[in-house]
Amino acid sequence: MKIDILEMTPTRAKFVISDTNPAFANALRRTIVADVPKMAIDNVEFHLGPIMDEKNQTFESVSPMFDETVAHRLGLIPIPTDLSAFNLRAKCTCGGEGCPSCTIMYSLNKKGPCTVYSGDLEPIGDAKFRIKDDLIPVVKLAEDQALLIYATAELGTGKQHAKWQGALGTGYRYFAKIEIEHSKCDLGGSCVKVCPKGVLAKEDRKIVVKHPERCNLCNSCVEVCDAGVIRVAGDPTKILFKFETDGALQAKEVLVRGLKILEERFENLREQISSLEE
Amino acid sequence: MIIPVRCFTCGKVIGGAFEDFVKRVDLGESPRDVLDSLHLDRYCCRRMLLTHANLIDEVAPY
Repeated sequence: MKIDILEMTPTRAKFVISDTNPAFANALRRTIVADVPKMAIDNVEFHLGPIMDEKNQTFESVSPMFDETVAHRLGLIPIPTDLSAFNLRAKCTCGGEGCPSCTIMYSLNKKGPCTVYSGDLEPIGDAKFRIKDDLIPVVKLAEDQALLIYATAELGTGKQHAKWQGALGTGYRYFAKIEIEHSKCDLGGSCVKVCPKGVLAKEDRKIVVKHPERCNLCNSCVEVCDAGVIRVAGDPTKILFKFETDGALQAKEVLVRGLKILEERFENLREQISSLEE
Repeated sequence: MIIPVRCFTCGKVIGGAFEDFVKRVDLGESPRDVLDSLHLDRYCCRRMLLTHANLIDEVAPY
């Protein structure tokens, strides 16, 4: 198996896995989606009753939306995650009580009229956990309304809830195998024009496959070719894989972690099988 | 109500892009160019912004 990276930015990954099969690509996809852990807000405490400010003005602790909805929206906000520094809360040394090595606390204190943004969440403790995507509207407050919230973020996996999903838009497809019989080609060039992805090009009186990674196997070129010299097929041993992240984790971290989890799982299986043989 | 935090279909965070989108479209830019420049490539994310009805200001007084 070999992985060739086509694109690797902090939020986007695209690579070709060769000498593989669809089953492996799907295993990797499912691991990345369901098993790579990430931080997300899981517990929100709302201050109930009147809220006073410094000038002794009282605000009502209500907002146009239900508290549940506000809590849900907070949960969906991506929290910067350092996988090496945090443990799953249930498996932490604190025994699930919540400590700095399994949870991040945030506070939010806003008085209306205003829009509450994700950037208004103040991390209690380390400032590196400040939310990067700080312009997500959470709720809008009217006159005399205020919000005082303590939120706790913890690690989780996509299996529990989509807010803990490490990657999004995860998918793969067969890499295209395009064959052109040059001896019979009449160089009409209609295949170059009809291709929506610009895969084919005409160079030196010859139709060449210029960008095979862009081909989505739509077969437009095969249908338009009068001479019938183009053959397009998916190659199940070569797979184009891509996914994005929401900024909580780096794309590279997600991939490395996903492969590691997969490896551990296969190792586990191997051990169990070998114990059966004895 | 208010713009959802994430795209319903794929889960991409789109909430942060909404105010920028509305501002730029009001200034006369084509919605297509704005969506492209905000890196909303998939049609699931694009429809989130295009079809959103922002009703929170009408609900707020109640």
